[in-house]
Amino acid sequence: MNDIKLGQYVHGYSLIHLLDPRTKIICCTFIVISILSNHNFWYLLAYLGLILAAIKYSGIPYKSIWRSMRGIRYLLLITFLFQAVLTPGEGLIQLGALSVTREGLSIGLINLLRLVILFLGSILLLMTTTPMKLSAGLEYLLLPLNKIKIPVQHFTTIISISFRFIPTLVEESIIIKDAQRSRGASFDSPKIFSNIKSYLAILIPLLASSMLRAEELAEAMDSRCYGGNPNQYRMQSLKYRRVDIYLIIFMTMVLFMGLFLG
Amino acid sequence: MSNIIDIKDLSYVYLPGTPYEQQALKDINMVLNQGELLGLFGGNGSGKSTLAKLLNGLLYPSRGKVRVCGIDTSIKELRNELWKKVGLVFQYPEQQIFEANIYDEVAYGPRNLGLKEAEVKSRVYQALEKVGLLPETLVNLSPVKLSGGVRRRIAIAGVLALEPEILILDEPMAGLDPLGQELMLDIIKKRQEMGTQSTIIISHNLKDIIALADKIAILEKGSLLFYGEVAELLENIDILSRFHLELPDYLQVVYALKARGKRTNRDISNLDEAGLELIQIISSQKGN
Repeated sequence: MNDIKLGQYVHGYSLIHLLDPRTKIICCTFIVISILSNHNFWYLLAYLGLILAAIKYSGIPYKSIWRSMRGIRYLLLITFLFQAVLTPGEGLIQLGALSVTREGLSIGLINLLRLVILFLGSILLLMTTTPMKLSAGLEYLLLPLNKIKIPVQHFTTIISISFRFIPTLVEESIIIKDAQRSRGASFDSPKIFSNIKSYLAILIPLLASSMLRAEELAEAMDSRCYGGNPNQYRMQSLKYRRVDIYLIIFMTMVLFMGLFLG
Repeated sequence: MSNIIDIKDLSYVYLPGTPYEQQALKDINMVLNQGELLGLFGGNGSGKSTLAKLLNGLLYPSRGKVRVCGIDTSIKELRNELWKKVGLVFQYPEQQIFEANIYDEVAYGPRNLGLKEAEVKSRVYQALEKVGLLPETLVNLSPVKLSGGVRRRIAIAGVLALEPEILILDEPMAGLDPLGQELMLDIIKKRQEMGTQSTIIISHNLKDIIALADKIAILEKGSLLFYGEVAELLENIDILSRFHLELPDYLQVVYALKARGKRTNRDISNLDEAGLELIQIISSQKGN
């Protein structure tokens, strides 16, 4: 419990929270499409502004988002550096055999922006939508796939179960980590091998308990006649409101703008 | 006797500055002498387990001071060495077992202490004996094949093998059958008989350990509601009834007699003493 888990739902009553999950999922898909199909710096920057405004509107403090961004800081840094150094073009700074190019810097910056926007968009979706709503939304949107014999409801059950158990697993791993630390396991020792051994001391019990839990859950589901049918009740609880439709129209416009600009 | 634990104005806040901020402990003050057994009670979410982690150096105070074995836990370097002196057995410790055989499992802590293998071996054997298991027949078995109760005793042996000055047990009785609970009490009793080592038992069932404890602390919503000797608590009917703390049967008899105006000794804390007391009451009755 040292930190909020990445993407953990934060309860709230903001407009973003109250949006239909389908709207949020569709908007996120639009974000992915427009971000990946476009490499106009100003467009991406405007998109970032849009998402930051949405986060502000959702009432989630920037501080906690910033903190979760720290989790991907190395990914961002490495992406940026590799792009900057490995793209051929007009050299700006020479670092031994490597040269930082103007083209590299601009591509690096654009990809950095893309990653940040993707991250913020998905984290906003996760932090403002309960796992139940999220999987109901997914199930509804993917339902047409049933026609080509893809068992959508199994997928969404799996997804919602994994969402459900992420916090449990994180909590359990913290307890086990504390327990092994109490027996002298060190997780920041200069010796890599002893660190690996310490992490094994967490992973093995965690794996064992997950297997046990999966078995128990399966039995519990069986005993309550889980059959893998679409969850009609859950899906019927979804309701589009006017604001959902406005938002989707707006995001479609933003998407097309991106496609033309790109 | 010296203070082995010294807590001053301790407060602890989880996740400060986030939507999940939560005050777990508020202005706790307590002192524990060496060799004493402290029973720590409270409902779910009252802060018992947080307090245990603060004593073991896994957490450090948001405010106030915690000194354990003379070590100030606000200093990081010292705090990280505290596991050598304070053994913490978590709830359901059997879930933390990870080695392929029992010997290695119990030896994990002593090896981390950097002891020689001969010393490790003697500690492992002693620890297993302390929890009532026969080392010779067990050490090569895989822990997976054993029952939950035995696995818990192995996990406790893993901490006892560190030979900690303070042993903290978080809900050691939870989920054990009556025989297992009795064995657990025996383990604790034997440790107390050595006289110099301190033990803290966290529980939400007073009945379990009232006969063993020297001091009792009761936490409610992060505040220390009561701290003192067992006898003081037994006098404090208010707190007993407020927490629905159910006393052992023999104490209930003694207190019922007291309520009817019989003169009873206030220092009764185990079954034998209660028996003697009852005999005295009955014989004085006959005398009349």
